[in-house]
Amino acid sequence: MAKPKIAMYWTGGCGGCDVSPLEVGEAIVDVLSQVEIAFWPALMDAKRADVEALPAGGIDVALINGALRTEDNVEMVRLLREKSKLVVAYGACAHLGGIIGLGNLHSAQSLVSTALGPGWHAGSPSFSANGDAPPPLTAGVVPLADVIAVDYVVPGCPPPAQLIGLFFQTLLGGEMPSPGHVFAEEKALCDQCPREKEDRRLEKFVRPHEMEPDPDRCLLDQGIVCMGPVTRGGCEAACPALGMPCTGCVGPTRKAGDLAGGMISALASLVRAGDEGEDAFAREDEVLAGLVDPVGTLYKYALATTWKRRETGGEDA
Amino acid sequence: MAELKHEPKIAAFLCRWCAYAGADLAGTNRLAYPPNMIPIRVPCSGRVEPAWVIEALRSGADGVLIGGCHPGDCHYVSGNYKARRRVELLRDVLAGLGVNPARVKLVWVSASEGVRFAQVVRDYVEEIRGLGPNRGEFGVPEEVDDRAGRIAQAVEQAVNHG
Repeated sequence: MAKPKIAMYWTGGCGGCDVSPLEVGEAIVDVLSQVEIAFWPALMDAKRADVEALPAGGIDVALINGALRTEDNVEMVRLLREKSKLVVAYGACAHLGGIIGLGNLHSAQSLVSTALGPGWHAGSPSFSANGDAPPPLTAGVVPLADVIAVDYVVPGCPPPAQLIGLFFQTLLGGEMPSPGHVFAEEKALCDQCPREKEDRRLEKFVRPHEMEPDPDRCLLDQGIVCMGPVTRGGCEAACPALGMPCTGCVGPTRKAGDLAGGMISALASLVRAGDEGEDAFAREDEVLAGLVDPVGTLYKYALATTWKRRETGGEDA
Repeated sequence: MAELKHEPKIAAFLCRWCAYAGADLAGTNRLAYPPNMIPIRVPCSGRVEPAWVIEALRSGADGVLIGGCHPGDCHYVSGNYKARRRVELLRDVLAGLGVNPARVKLVWVSASEGVRFAQVVRDYVEEIRGLGPNRGEFGVPEEVDDRAGRIAQAVEQAVNHG
């Protein structure tokens, strides 16, 4: 069999995904010897014209990381879809919108004026004599699957070595799962977490910097908002194992659906202020109000999956 | 030309033991209330997942009403308490998104309160009418939207004068 031609492309991301294959360690050398890199801007010089010159299906697998934030992002992923047999959403941004997706809390216009100062416009930049200009922002951030058909997902921020390894092993093994497969566990992260769970009663939310958690007990039991119950396993609970809560980067389990929605259910079940009943309502509300930055905590990676922005500027009540 | 008036659309998740039975009673008593509400029968208010409410709002519902049993009356002992805590958290999240938290409301209605049920629906329809249409997407009020601006200012000050 000929070596599969792979492409890795970045859209609105931080570059961490492009570096992440190094996490695999020495095994990456084996992988690289079994594939041919057709296009990977972070590794080698290749331009859009080089991709345009390829025949349809000229790329076997395109790994795309980053959320879609500019019109150029959208054009490039459409082009890559046309040239690729398989498209993989690689990393949390391509999968769910990622941290970039939190940009949906603000209008594109407001983001541009904040970053560049007043007078800059989100829509049609034309401020350079030779026509060089950053591409216009889209109205909102969307994950890859909102714009093109995505065959597989390698999730994580960035994808953990285990899952990158799993993907390449499967790809080179030649037997791919049915389309739509997410290369992670179906079960929640708690299933892989080494910490001991108890009968939980949450009487106070604690932020990670406010305490040194007990090394053996479940973080949720200790009051730290850990997204483990609604997040897919696959990373071997890397963060909780080191005392930091899971923030949900691998994405929701099929059962949880919406990360924030699922986690609200989980937290509501855990919170108590003495015996349940009308008398406890006010104290329960105090506990619940202790959740700092609910949107940023519960929707850290998946905001753009659920909440879209369709206008570049403008406000609403 | 007559202007089209916006009619609020309200999705209502009603617990089968109390609120839905109350709605039934309102019906058999022929009590009139506005037709803006789409009732959905659920086993318990505690069964209503936040994701359903989010989906309703995303799909263009202007308000979501959740009806459960009065405190102490839940058929499953504590489902309504769980529903209350869920709604409380969900409203915090919605406020952070710029969606008016009043678009989600939890009410207690017993099986014998047909009159109360009709009144609750009348009141909520008027409340939502006052808020106007939900655009099913972000609507971030100015003071929230300016958060990025304030952070940028603070950073600039720290860099220049820090």
